[in-house]
Amino acid sequence: MSPTVSASGLSLHYGATRALDEVSLRLSPGVTGLLGPNGAGKTTLLRVLATAVPADRGTFTVLGHDPSTARGRQEVRRRLGYLPQTPGFHPDFTAFEFVDYVAILKELTDRGARHREARRVLDEVGLGEVRGKRIRKLSGGMRQRVALAAALVGDPAFLVLDEPTVGLDPEQRMRFRELIATAGEGRTVLLSTHQTEDVAMLCHRVVVLAGGAVRFDGTPAELTARASGRVWSSEGRDPGALAGWRTGLGTFRNVGDPPPGADLLEPTLEDGYLLTLDGAAAEVTA
Amino acid sequence: MPVTGTRPAGDTPVREARRGVLLQLVRPVARTVPWWAVAAGGGLGLLAAAVPRLSGGEATPWAGVNALRAAALCFALGAAFLLDDPARQTTAAVPVRRALRHALRCALVLPLAAAWWTAAVLLVPQEARPPAGDVTLEAATALALALAGAAFAVRRRGADRPGQAVSASLLVAAVLAPLLSPSDWALFTEPDDPHWAGAHGRWTLLLCGALLAVAVSCVEPVRRFQPVRRSRTRPARAGKGVWGAAPGTGREDAAGAETPRP
Repeated sequence: MSPTVSASGLSLHYGATRALDEVSLRLSPGVTGLLGPNGAGKTTLLRVLATAVPADRGTFTVLGHDPSTARGRQEVRRRLGYLPQTPGFHPDFTAFEFVDYVAILKELTDRGARHREARRVLDEVGLGEVRGKRIRKLSGGMRQRVALAAALVGDPAFLVLDEPTVGLDPEQRMRFRELIATAGEGRTVLLSTHQTEDVAMLCHRVVVLAGGAVRFDGTPAELTARASGRVWSSEGRDPGALAGWRTGLGTFRNVGDPPPGADLLEPTLEDGYLLTLDGAAAEVTA
Repeated sequence: MPVTGTRPAGDTPVREARRGVLLQLVRPVARTVPWWAVAAGGGLGLLAAAVPRLSGGEATPWAGVNALRAAALCFALGAAFLLDDPARQTTAAVPVRRALRHALRCALVLPLAAAWWTAAVLLVPQEARPPAGDVTLEAATALALALAGAAFAVRRRGADRPGQAVSASLLVAAVLAPLLSPSDWALFTEPDDPHWAGAHGRWTLLLCGALLAVAVSCVEPVRRFQPVRRSRTRPARAGKGVWGAAPGTGREDAAGAETPRP
């Protein structure tokens, strides 16, 4: 299958700080998770791929369109839905009016079809009942869903979601996961998150970014396998562990290089992610 | 069919490139314009323009021109908020260009600005009224500078609400310009000053520069032209690793506690 998004050598500097360092990616339909610590460059990468900010160097295409020209960028934007990290709204608009406004900005000019589309996406995110309510009166979770509805308008082939579950309570997060899973059916979704659970539950592929560079690109199972044989339990704190914490059972869960005969535990995606980041940190420090 | 997503092509609204977009945008964009700021600037401006008439005594050309300059500044301070858009990030990647949206905002306000300025000029007693064309040039320049500042802040920093900072900068510039501008580049002359015509030649240059800055700043860049300097890669929790401190490894945190699960 040919990739929806193909990026090669994307670099971006803010002053002397390198925010992205030769990032190359190929994204295909399905949900791809983008994991990384704060300051890893996740939002920058998403903004570049969403054409909100141009890269210093490197190229990328979305469905064969090159956004390094004004015409190409417009073609990319016609196929793109973008949910920013901190979506803003016109608070006096109703949810419907705001989504309708975004639909006009996405060049849906037939009023009837546009209104149907706005209603469709609001229904899709579960806001059909409150579409006439002003955004200022909606809860944080509902506003986030309005932003997702705005991103979904026009049925984009490529959906860029920047930490959509931040600040949501567990129930809302679960609801959002359902929405993202649905959105990922048949389209390419790039999901930036701090939540390894989101990746484990939603993504067919995961990319780990640290220091502006890709540190891992593979399946969640492959990332989890990185911690295979490197997680163990002990009765007390293990001084040889890279990290260890007391679990609810009273034993310590340790990650790192286990001592001989250690009681190995089943690794999680989070263990693999943390070991990957630790390797990246060591690489940068060296 | 340009739209390519999960739904069958026939079920997707057809996009008519550009045609109709502008007309459809008028109403929602008009609702997003910060009218309160425009109204506040306009109201204060009218008060400033009315000062020579309200002061009772005989109005002088000096009072007239400065009242109109104060009025123009007040309006420009309000207009600096014109490009404020709390939904800028949410609408950062839409095909309708930023330049079009900015132009529409300006187009919505310009007729009102023209009517307002006419009223402001008429408020100044005839005997104190400076040449209308010249003082209009000054007012247009102030407005263009405010818009240029706002558009530049949006382009450079992606600012959602540049109005406050631009407005403050414009006010400071308006106070400092008469004090700091060199004598051979005087801008704030009196109508009976022999340098009046020369000053307005400079106002014309300034207006052209400001309009050019607006035009350039409204266009979204497709490339960044930034010299690559000595690079510093953001460390991925360098030094402590991603874990924070690990017990017994010389990397304990200050409290000496075990590292919590991230």
